[in-house]
Amino acid sequence: MDITTLKSKKSLIWWTVIFTIFILLIFLPFYTQGYAVVLLISILVYVILTLSWVMFSGSTGYMSLAPAAFFGVGIYTSALIGKVFPFPITVLVGGMASFILAILVGALTLRLKGIYFAIFTFGLVMLIAYSLLFFEIQVTGTRGRFVIVMDYNTIYFYMLGIFMLLLLTTYLIKNSKYGLALRSIGQEEDAAAHTGVNVVGVKVMTFAISAFFMGAVGSVMATKLTYIDPFIAFSTTYSFMPVAMAIFGGTGSLYGPIIGAAILTYLEEILITKFAEVYMLIFGAILVAAILYLPDGLVGFIQKIWRRLMERNHVDT
Amino acid sequence: MKNKVFTGLIMFVVVVLLAVGFYTTNTFAKDKIVVGMARPLSGPMATIGDSAFKPIYDTWTDEVNAQGGIYVKEYGKKLPIELLIYDDKGDLGTMTRLTEKLIVKDKVDFLWPSCGTAFVFAQAPIANKHGYVLITAEGGATHVKDMLPSLPYVFVSLSFSDWYQIPVLAELLGEKGAKTAYITFRADLFGIEYSGVAGIEFPKHGIEIIGLNSVPPETKDFAPIIKKAKASGADVFCAFGYPDLVLPATGTSMALDYNPKAWIGGPAVNFGFYHTTFGPAAEGVLGFTTFACSQSKAAQTLCDKLYKGKPEEINDWWGHPLYWAGLECWKQAIEKAGTLDQKVIREVLATEKFNTVLGPTWFENGLMAKECHTGEIGQWQKGIFEVVGPTKNATAKFVYPKSIWPAPPKK
Repeated sequence: MDITTLKSKKSLIWWTVIFTIFILLIFLPFYTQGYAVVLLISILVYVILTLSWVMFSGSTGYMSLAPAAFFGVGIYTSALIGKVFPFPITVLVGGMASFILAILVGALTLRLKGIYFAIFTFGLVMLIAYSLLFFEIQVTGTRGRFVIVMDYNTIYFYMLGIFMLLLLTTYLIKNSKYGLALRSIGQEEDAAAHTGVNVVGVKVMTFAISAFFMGAVGSVMATKLTYIDPFIAFSTTYSFMPVAMAIFGGTGSLYGPIIGAAILTYLEEILITKFAEVYMLIFGAILVAAILYLPDGLVGFIQKIWRRLMERNHVDT
Repeated sequence: MKNKVFTGLIMFVVVVLLAVGFYTTNTFAKDKIVVGMARPLSGPMATIGDSAFKPIYDTWTDEVNAQGGIYVKEYGKKLPIELLIYDDKGDLGTMTRLTEKLIVKDKVDFLWPSCGTAFVFAQAPIANKHGYVLITAEGGATHVKDMLPSLPYVFVSLSFSDWYQIPVLAELLGEKGAKTAYITFRADLFGIEYSGVAGIEFPKHGIEIIGLNSVPPETKDFAPIIKKAKASGADVFCAFGYPDLVLPATGTSMALDYNPKAWIGGPAVNFGFYHTTFGPAAEGVLGFTTFACSQSKAAQTLCDKLYKGKPEEINDWWGHPLYWAGLECWKQAIEKAGTLDQKVIREVLATEKFNTVLGPTWFENGLMAKECHTGEIGQWQKGIFEVVGPTKNATAKFVYPKSIWPAPPKK
């Protein structure tokens, strides 16, 4: 069997596995108890945020702490127009609002590098939260807003739809010339510019695409929160958790962030329910251990072990 | 024909056995009442949760279980309470998820409340959607009154701004001849609401608001605000915010020798730790309250249960009696209903009166009726947080103007 046939066979197996998983996920609400759907919604939120974060930061090496800003914009969009427009429009507007914000912010700041960019993006979260707070107090005379309540199956299907679209987008970017340009920026930005890559354009567009998905998922998540205010919507947890989950899972592959987000969300669920008093201690210890001993993430670690096993088998034969 | 009769008989037996089995497992196997809670055991809300509702549900549950539990006629016996508590980390998203888990997966018999007004707002629609009775604790706001008609399973125990604290405060101050007020408030749900209600109620009693300052959450230096308030010469100074505003604002007022005729702050002044922090200097400071130990025999008994032999810091003169009364209403509603059926219990809670530490207690359109409150405004007098308003519930006369801050100790 030649190498091309072997590769296409392996690819076919992967696609079959992915297709089967999606079929199972689509039919999940019909064959499980209600809470599995609730938990999967939480997992999907973090999977989407983490994968979106990796789409930009994982490829370019720019540490963005803006996920909470884009996620919060989506949440507030839902609170503002969710009662007026059909829900698919609300989700689309939430995504587009974040997309436009990312274009504006990216065009202004993506010339910054390293820690400056990270601090700016974190500042953006605070800036929006406080501006909104000021607006709510001075103009509307209140602080929080109620959001339309939807049933969990509907929320789940919206999340799943966004996740599928995000996965497809990430796959297409990764396997295109655009993705190649993105990776070259991550490896050596100046060299990429010399080869004719529109460095700022590619960075801004990727930043905006990733923001679109964060905003869209925020719009859906708002209906689960039922009540929001600027500090709930723009909670910095949504900036730091995707980073921690991406590091835990590994940023080198498409499925690393997904696995990282899924495992950490589930782990958090177990800890806060079974070990409520020591949740933070255990969770923190696991994160520290992951950073110290899994520099390439969980997926990188497994791949390393797998390669060693293969090499040993090869030597034995 | 014989076969048909035989088959019919077998089917009948099977149905009866299944029905008996179902009845047995669902009726007689019940040996406890499981109550679920998503509470902030860690995170920024943990301090509030630990000093507000937690001491109440711990003490109350121990007391009820020591008596064998709650009598439920449907089961013909007393059922002890078992608490199932999850840590929501003070995160709203986690709280909503855990509330769903408690209802859908753990299938707890009852739900007790999360901590904080925003959390109450988010949890109430979930409890109502699943038909779970929810008597809230730390949380209440004017907005909740608009929500309650659409949330028949939700009952609010805590008093709040226009239910009926600020109207009583305005009346007290107006009667004493206060003419002007300076208000500083934290830019959060609590501060915005209280300053807004004061803006409506104070002018009704001839008090003009001559200064209004919103304080962002990160502000730690209150000197500029206190200087402005002092320069205004207002009779009344209001600090509407949580302890992170009220405590430093008190300290700064002392440091800058700002002595208005009335100084009110909360929630913070109502806690024992306010008195332990400022000692005799707290004399005359006003805050929000519900009861004082000397008010009745029942109040004294509750004080003994909650506070005797414990540090003064844990005392909460505003929330504790209301949370306790809320749990008493819940227990009595179960006993009156004779079942754990939420729908029946909800009906009892919505329509009947209960005997609690507050006296006759009932809910009116989902709110604990203001007539049940045994106090709204308190004032520190000789180390005791006395009820001074409304006058019919007062345990001491309202002192106005308050005494000036004592001079700092000489080194």
